[in-house]
Amino acid sequence: MLRLENVGLKYGDGPEILRDVSFSVRPGDFYFLTGPSGAGKSSLLKLLFLALRPTRGKLHIFGEDVGGLSHSKLPAIRRRIGVVFQEFRLLDHLSTYDNVALPLRVAGRAESSYRLDVMDLLDWVGLAHKSSDLPPVLSGGEKQRAAIARAVIAKPQLLLADEPTGNVDPLLAKRLLHLFLELNRLGTTMLIATHDKGLVRQAERPVLHLEQGALNLQ
Amino acid sequence: MRPGAIIPATAASLTSLTVTMAVMCYLACLAIGALILVDRAVTSWTSGLSREMTVQVRVVRDADIAQEVEKARAVTAAFPGIIEVDILDEKAGEKLLEPWLGTRSLAGLPVPRLIRVVTDTENPPDVTALGQALSQVKGATLDTHQKWESELTRMARALSAVSYAILLLISVSAIAIVIFATRAVLQANRHIVDLLHLVGARDSYIARQIDGRFLRTGLLSGFIGVGLGLFTFLLLGLFGGGSESGVAAASRGLLFSTPSIAIWSYGLLFAVPIAATLICLITARVTLIRRLGVIT
Ligand SMILES: Nc1ncnc2c1ncn2[C@@H]1O[C@H](COP(=O)(O)OP(=O)(O)O)[C@@H](O)[C@H]1O
Ligand SMILES: [Mg+2]
Repeated sequence: MLRLENVGLKYGDGPEILRDVSFSVRPGDFYFLTGPSGAGKSSLLKLLFLALRPTRGKLHIFGEDVGGLSHSKLPAIRRRIGVVFQEFRLLDHLSTYDNVALPLRVAGRAESSYRLDVMDLLDWVGLAHKSSDLPPVLSGGEKQRAAIARAVIAKPQLLLADEPTGNVDPLLAKRLLHLFLELNRLGTTMLIATHDKGLVRQAERPVLHLEQGALNLQ
Repeated sequence: MRPGAIIPATAASLTSLTVTMAVMCYLACLAIGALILVDRAVTSWTSGLSREMTVQVRVVRDADIAQEVEKARAVTAAFPGIIEVDILDEKAGEKLLEPWLGTRSLAGLPVPRLIRVVTDTENPPDVTALGQALSQVKGATLDTHQKWESELTRMARALSAVSYAILLLISVSAIAIVIFATRAVLQANRHIVDLLHLVGARDSYIARQIDGRFLRTGLLSGFIGVGLGLFTFLLLGLFGGGSESGVAAASRGLLFSTPSIAIWSYGLLFAVPIAATLICLITARVTLIRRLGVIT
């Protein structure tokens, strides 16, 4: 599903943030990605959801070599990937409901075909009563849950989550972990960047540790 | 619950584009008005003039003017391709000189006599031969108006060319400002565009969220421009320097003429909002697709 071979990444003329990163993820896997702040976790995820291209090495996503991928092929691949961004990236002018429904909407689905799914999911993450509120009036934890809901609404094959429990209390973190484990059980491949050691311990899943540009399986 | 607009209309408003485009459309209407008027004027001059010629008989010493005029009439009337020959009275000659000499009596002055000649357009006379035939009449010259006509036609052509050039320039600048405005809208909504890409939106989908606003801008500014243009022609027709003034008459002619001509000129004028809408829509769409293609 994902294969990286000696991937290197730098921003402009800066130092190499990632050096010789190699690993692969098979369908159904569940990995945590850990490492100190600034280690490059977010940068690695950006490579995986195609917001950045590696400066060297090979990256394959769903069997496609990202190096030779044309712009027109990106949407189809991105629709198979759900992303929880570290900074949420909710659209402030759209309601919570519209934000969560966005991936379905851009895929051309009619509103009537997804409205129950979206309401169910909002209910599940405890945001049903906030469905028509705009993100600026949501709390940090509520935004986090809306961002997660948007990432999973289209039932992606691969879920990339960047610090998805960074803004929530331990109880909600535990509920979110259960959501991720449940989605994984249903077949979604997971890669979750976190520095929440408690979360990693509870889940008992393999950990990819990133430090000083190098990635190691722990 | 109707889904909210993905690209909010408030970010990077198109008001200034609408104003600029409306001014462009207004100028385009004026240029088209000029084109129609020039074209119409040329048609009426040339059709009137080419049917008519004038024989002028100047007073020459040692010759009886009345006799020479009669001779000129006879020579001309005998010529094939001439339908009508008409000696104008002395007043006509005086009237011709009025701009130079004023309205005082010209009695006693050697005023030339004029003969109006109507030719058969189906079977036009040999003008050169007629000129030669007239050389036996003392003081007679043939004025075919051809010099006049070609002068007028040349001027009309120049005016038309200028109008076309203005229309072209207006279109080019309209395209340029639409490109500029499209980029501004993209720039102002860059965070939204990036997110849409990341959740799997195609470029054509993103472009559709934006180009509807350019379509509305084109239509609105086009109709404002045509409205102002028609209003201008109306004002010119009513107050354009007295009812006898050429500009006023021409403007009235543009607005209220025989149905066939009116349909034609209104049709051309209403091509302006259509062109404005197409320019806005196509330019915005092409710009969007090209710019979106380089944003990953
Ligand atoms: N857009 C960028 N331009 C330049 N440097 C960046 C950019 N994004 C991140 N970095 C740098 O890359 C390094 C890794 O950042 P990041 O991937 O966000 O780490 P993490 O998510 O593990 O905290 C940091 O040193 C950061 O300053
Ligand atoms: Mg990070």
